[in-house]
Amino acid sequence: MTPTELHPLLPSTRPRWFRFLLPILAVLAGFGLGAVLLWRGVLPIGPRQFHGTLIQSPTPLANFTLYGPDNTPVSLRDFRGKVVILYFGYTYCPDVCPATLAELKQMMAALGKQAAQVQVIMISVDPERDTAVALQKYVTHFHPSFIGLTGQSEDDILAVTTPLGIYYEKHAGTAATGYLIDHTATLSVIDKKGYLRLIYPFGIFGKDIAADLQTIIKD
Amino acid sequence: MQSAAAPTSAPSRQKPIPRRFLWGWLWALPVLLALGLAWFSIMRPVQVLPRITLAPGYALTDQNGRLLTSETMRGKIVLYSFAYAQCGATCAPTADLLRALQARLPELGAEVPIEFVTIAIDEATPEELAALAQTRGADTAVWHFASADANRLKWVVGGGFGLYFAPGPDGTYLLDQGYMLVDGAGILRAEYLRAVPDIELVMRDLRLLLQEAQHSEGPARYAYEAAHLFACYPR
Repeated sequence: MTPTELHPLLPSTRPRWFRFLLPILAVLAGFGLGAVLLWRGVLPIGPRQFHGTLIQSPTPLANFTLYGPDNTPVSLRDFRGKVVILYFGYTYCPDVCPATLAELKQMMAALGKQAAQVQVIMISVDPERDTAVALQKYVTHFHPSFIGLTGQSEDDILAVTTPLGIYYEKHAGTAATGYLIDHTATLSVIDKKGYLRLIYPFGIFGKDIAADLQTIIKD
Repeated sequence: MQSAAAPTSAPSRQKPIPRRFLWGWLWALPVLLALGLAWFSIMRPVQVLPRITLAPGYALTDQNGRLLTSETMRGKIVLYSFAYAQCGATCAPTADLLRALQARLPELGAEVPIEFVTIAIDEATPEELAALAQTRGADTAVWHFASADANRLKWVVGGGFGLYFAPGPDGTYLLDQGYMLVDGAGILRAEYLRAVPDIELVMRDLRLLLQEAQHSEGPARYAYEAAHLFACYPR
C-alpha cells in the first residue's frame, strides 16, 4: 500500500505551487551556502572576508629607507615580491610590543612553508636607545627571519610613521624603565606589489593574520 | 488486468518532478548568483565611502595646551581643515562652512562622535589657537584647534594629508585648500580639495560613515564589506 492510498485526499489538497516549493527552497539554500562559502574563502574563487581592515589604496605605499643590522640601508622596495608586515615599537616596550611580536611568531608557524614569502619588519620609534644591533637581537628572539630597522634622525622615522597613521610620543617612565613611548600599535600589511592592503589593531591573533595572508600571498 | 482497473477509481497522483526541471534550476543557480552580484554592484543597496588610505599619525598641541593625537581621535569621525592665525578673510568661507556643519550635527543623531580638527600650519601657540577658536565661533567640545613645530607640521599636513603649504609675505601662507574626512579607524574616507565644498555633500558623507559605523556589525558587516569590494560608492 502506497502513502497515496493511505491518504487518498492528500495530493488533491496541495496547491499547485507546492510542487515548486522544494526546488525553490533548495536553490535558495544553495545560494546562501554558496555565498557564505565564497565569503569565508572556503571556495577558491570570489571575494573574501578578512580579519583586518581592507584598504583600497590607488597607489603603492611610498618607498622609505631605514637602517638594518650593521647599519646597512634597507628600503621597502627591497622586499618587492614578498608580503611585508610592518610593526612599530621599541625594545624597551614593556608589554604591547612583545605581545604583538609573539602573535607574529604564531603567524609564521601557522603559515608553514608560505612563511618564506612573508617578511616581518619592526621599525623602532626609539632610535635614541635602539641601536641596530640591539634591535636585531630583540626581533630575532621572536623569529630568526624578523628584521629590525631604525632611523638616524627623527625625520627618518616620521617619514615612515606619518603616512601609516602611526603616532608616537615620549613620556616619563620609572627609574627602572627609563622613559616610555606611547605609540600606535597597529600592524600594516603590504602586498607583493607594494600596496598597503590590510590593517590590524592591537590584539589580533597570529592564526587570524595567517589566514588572511594565505589569500594575500596568492594574489 | 489489475493495473488497467486501478486508475479509474484511485484519486489522481501527483506527477513526479521532471528531471529536466531540476537540471534547469541547477543551471539557473550560477546565473542567479551572477545576476545578484550585478544587481548589488549596479543598484548599490549599501553605499560606502572608499577606504582611500591611512590618515597620518600625529601628536599636536591643542588650544588648551593639551596633547591631541591621532589616537585621541580614534573611534571618532573627524573632519580635518587647515588654517593659520593671520588668515583672516581668506579663511572666512572655511569658518562659515564649519560653523554651519557644527550647527547641523544634531540632525545626524550621531551615536559615533563627529568632531572637527583645524590644524594651524603656522606653529600657533595654545593662546593663538584659543583666539582662533573664539573668532571662529567654535564649540571647542567638538571642534579642536591644534598645531605643532614646523617639522611635525610638514610631515602631517604635507606628507600625511598631501597639502602644500609655505610661508608667504606679511605673515600669510600659501596653503592648498582642502578638508579631509577620516573614520574612527583612522582611515581617510573623503577629500574635498576646494575652498568651500557643498555642505550637503559633506553631510551625505557624514551620514554614510555613521551608517557604516552603526550598522556594520554582525551579519550586516558582510554587506558592507561587499560594498567595499564592489566599489559601491555614492555617485
